[in-house]
Amino acid sequence: MIKITDLEKFYRTEEVETIALNKLSMEVRKGEFVAIMGPSGCGKSTLLNILGMLDDPDAGSYVFNDIEVAHFNERKRADLRKHNIGFVFQSFNLIDELTVFENVELPLIYTGVAAADRVKRVEEVLDKMQIMQRRNHYPQQLSGGQQQRVAIARAVVNNPKLILADEPTGNLDSSNGNDVMELLTDLNEQGTTIVMVTHSEHDARYSHRIIRLLDGHTVMENIMI
Amino acid sequence: MFRNYIKTAWRSLKKNKTFTAINVLGLALGLTACLLIVLYVVDELSFDRYNNKADRIYRVNEDLKLGNNSVNYAVCMAPLAQTLKTDFPDVEDAVRIKRAAFHVKKGTENILEYNVAFADPSIFNVFTLPMVNGNATTALAEPNSIVITETTAKKYFNSTNVVGRDLRIDDQAGYKVTGVIKDMPKTSHFNFDFLVSMSTYPDSKSDKWLRSDYNTYVLFRKGADPKKLEVQLPAFLRKYAAGEMQNELNTSIDAFEKSGSYFRMNLTPLTDIHLHSDRSGELGTNSTVEYIYIFSAIALFILFIACVNFMNLSTARSSSRAREVGVRKVLGSSRGYLVIQFLTESTLVTLGATLIALAAATALLPAFNQLAGKEILINSHTYVWLLPVSLIIVLVIGFLAGSYPAFFLSAFQPADVLKGKLATGFKGGWLRSFLVVFQFGISIFLIIGTLVIYNQLNYIQTKNLGYNRNQVLVVKNAFELGKHAQSFKQEVKQLPGVASATLTGFLPTTQARSTSIFFKDASMTDQKSSIFPQTWQVDDDYIKTLGMKMAAGRNFSSQMATDSSGVIINETAARFLGFANPIDKQLYQSLDGSRTHFKVYHIVGVVKDFHFNSLRENISPVVMRLGEDTGDLSLRVSTTNLPALIAQLKEKWSGLSSSHFEYSFMDQDFEASYRSEQRIGKIFVVFTSLAILIACLGLFGLAAYAAEQRTKEIGIRKVLGANVTAIVGLLSKDFIKLILIAITISSPLAWYLMHKWLQDFAYRVNIEWYTIVIAGLGAMIIAVATISFQSIKAALANPVKSLKSE
Repeated sequence: MIKITDLEKFYRTEEVETIALNKLSMEVRKGEFVAIMGPSGCGKSTLLNILGMLDDPDAGSYVFNDIEVAHFNERKRADLRKHNIGFVFQSFNLIDELTVFENVELPLIYTGVAAADRVKRVEEVLDKMQIMQRRNHYPQQLSGGQQQRVAIARAVVNNPKLILADEPTGNLDSSNGNDVMELLTDLNEQGTTIVMVTHSEHDARYSHRIIRLLDGHTVMENIMI
Repeated sequence: MFRNYIKTAWRSLKKNKTFTAINVLGLALGLTACLLIVLYVVDELSFDRYNNKADRIYRVNEDLKLGNNSVNYAVCMAPLAQTLKTDFPDVEDAVRIKRAAFHVKKGTENILEYNVAFADPSIFNVFTLPMVNGNATTALAEPNSIVITETTAKKYFNSTNVVGRDLRIDDQAGYKVTGVIKDMPKTSHFNFDFLVSMSTYPDSKSDKWLRSDYNTYVLFRKGADPKKLEVQLPAFLRKYAAGEMQNELNTSIDAFEKSGSYFRMNLTPLTDIHLHSDRSGELGTNSTVEYIYIFSAIALFILFIACVNFMNLSTARSSSRAREVGVRKVLGSSRGYLVIQFLTESTLVTLGATLIALAAATALLPAFNQLAGKEILINSHTYVWLLPVSLIIVLVIGFLAGSYPAFFLSAFQPADVLKGKLATGFKGGWLRSFLVVFQFGISIFLIIGTLVIYNQLNYIQTKNLGYNRNQVLVVKNAFELGKHAQSFKQEVKQLPGVASATLTGFLPTTQARSTSIFFKDASMTDQKSSIFPQTWQVDDDYIKTLGMKMAAGRNFSSQMATDSSGVIINETAARFLGFANPIDKQLYQSLDGSRTHFKVYHIVGVVKDFHFNSLRENISPVVMRLGEDTGDLSLRVSTTNLPALIAQLKEKWSGLSSSHFEYSFMDQDFEASYRSEQRIGKIFVVFTSLAILIACLGLFGLAAYAAEQRTKEIGIRKVLGANVTAIVGLLSKDFIKLILIAITISSPLAWYLMHKWLQDFAYRVNIEWYTIVIAGLGAMIIAVATISFQSIKAALANPVKSLKSE
């Protein structure tokens, strides 16, 4: 599903050039659950942003579903992204002005799903995430665990083929964190590919494979069985 | 999708109540001011356009230069209208209007009516004055016919169905109401309550071409070119006036023009009169187009300032919206959607502001009318243009004000903003700085403008005018007393509290004016040595009562029999005449326009120059002679018990006349003559204050923006030991720099433009350097006060919080 080859990314300020990704190559197959680990500043988030097409690489190739996307412009990336990829963030990133229902509904609006259809699908996914009773609440009125459930609901409502999670349990206590990991595992078992960045060895154990990064390149891969 | 935008916008606005209030109210305030100015300007521009044939009507003017004197008249000769009609086929019709005043009897009282005019019957063909009762073609055909307005009809008869009824004019019978017209619109450059048939006025049959008394309007045929007529006017004038000129002035037109004098005619389009005409003999007080420009500029300035606020305040909030932008982009929103979303939001705010502004403008209109001396109404006609204009305002302002935040916010990179790297790329501060400089430049410009206008108005009011207008009580219309006027004066002089009294209508503060030609030599041929002064009939108490000072010679004296041919001239007249020592020099005045009947005057004194025209004009020559004018009785009073004095005056008056006792104070009359300037000044101050207030709202927002942008920096500095003063200084420094730039740019510009404005006044203040310093300092203080609020708030905040928010 994902194949990157010799990916490079630099950050430039006026005087210093920092290498974030240094000729990184890796592959993620359909249906995999991959964890990416490494110390702060190793390039995890940069990698995730590029995988999510929020950022573009400076060099190298990124093939997503057999399409080379490394040089797509923003509009094309946005189009590909909204149909195929769901995001889960450490800080949830729900829109404060929208209710739970409206937050989850947002991706469907951008992909042009008809209103009646949207209601059905949002209710379905809220039901699945067991937050149906909170549908008219605003994010500030929810606990962290509930907010992350909403965020996951929002990520999956479009039935994406890939979910990118950036430390999804980072802001949660361990019990809520475990719940979230269970949810992700369930999704993976239903066929969704998951790439997750994490600092937590405990969370990483839910994955099939751990890719460890250091200074912008892969140093090790552990296969978890 | 759209519903989602509006929903988000609405909730976001609701969530940030302070911000929304500042934004909506600031914009609403700006739009209200703008709407009021637009209504004012539209009203000013609509003058005389109620006439169906407005575009074909022109007024004929006369320009005269005689020796050193030149006068531009709005009036022409009696035979002109008919002759133009006969000689030029392009002229479809012509009408003469002659202003007058008379008493109309109501019950036992004689009411003095000022809005009276003699008019040719063609007035109803040329102008659109709809007849409610009566026949427009015949109404003014016969002598002693009077057409009145509906209001006047109700005033005198309690009915508008009064055709055929009698009116007693100046206590004489024989006048008939022949028509009732609708009241003349306020947007007319003349406003009469009574139109009397021109044939009632004997002089109207005069065939003199050197006497100008009639406001003359011509109606051109459709498609005719007025320019064509204008070029034929010199020849036309030659044809008719040359003979008279030869007879009365003993000169041919060629010789006359060779000597530097001239006698010309030209045309003013009807619709230009109100804003572009300021001639002698206008039928009403006109405005000037300059004020239209000034007010329109202020309206645009205010609107601009309000828009900039909107932009700045919206970007100020960008950090709280940045995350939303990031999330929306991650979820698949393209930049275009976001731009539309933010534009929707700004349009929504503008719509709200416009609705508030429409309501506010409607509510404030009566107060504004009072301020501006207008009678503007918002009615169904207004809405015909006001609603589309409002819609355009909503869309244009919504777009203009929203575009910067929209494009700015939508450009956020989701990867950055979601990581909290907020707007680090936003160094495009030059645009923001430019906007602030522009905003404050305008404010400082307006402050300087207001100060200069106020200085000038104050100067007018406190300037030594050459006479003392304080403590002078004017009993109006003393001529009503007829032959008792003199005895009234003598009796009044005996009253305690009356220092002196003078009987004449020729006062520096009244409209009574009369001019005639005086020559230095008995041959009366040399135009160059002639003067064309104000010729006022006064009495021997005049100089004393009005507190004028003699520069040379003496005042009139009732003891000197020869003073009946004596004159007192002002310094300007002495200068025009070129006499080194004018005392006892002689002046010659023709009695009938010929060179054989003349009167010789000798100069007994020179009075120091005094102002009797607007200070816009230079003092012109004045010749005073002893006369019997009984227009008004002016008293120099020396009592504090005015009510008692006035009661006594009234009692004496009632014993002598049946007409109404009217009085005023000369200083108030003086104020009244500057009322339009004062009005403009007041309007200017109101709108300038608004502009400054709105600019400060913007600065308030910007300071918030700056504080927000630097929250982390402030936090770190505080942790490292910076105190509140240091932080306030840090935040204020940038703005003070911008304001200094604004001062540097706008003060020379303001100086230049205000200097130009002052050129309109012959007597004017200088723009002092401290005016500019005061304006700059004022703007600075207001700005610093505004910024401090935000800066102190930021400086007092707990650094732990601000650092955690990263």
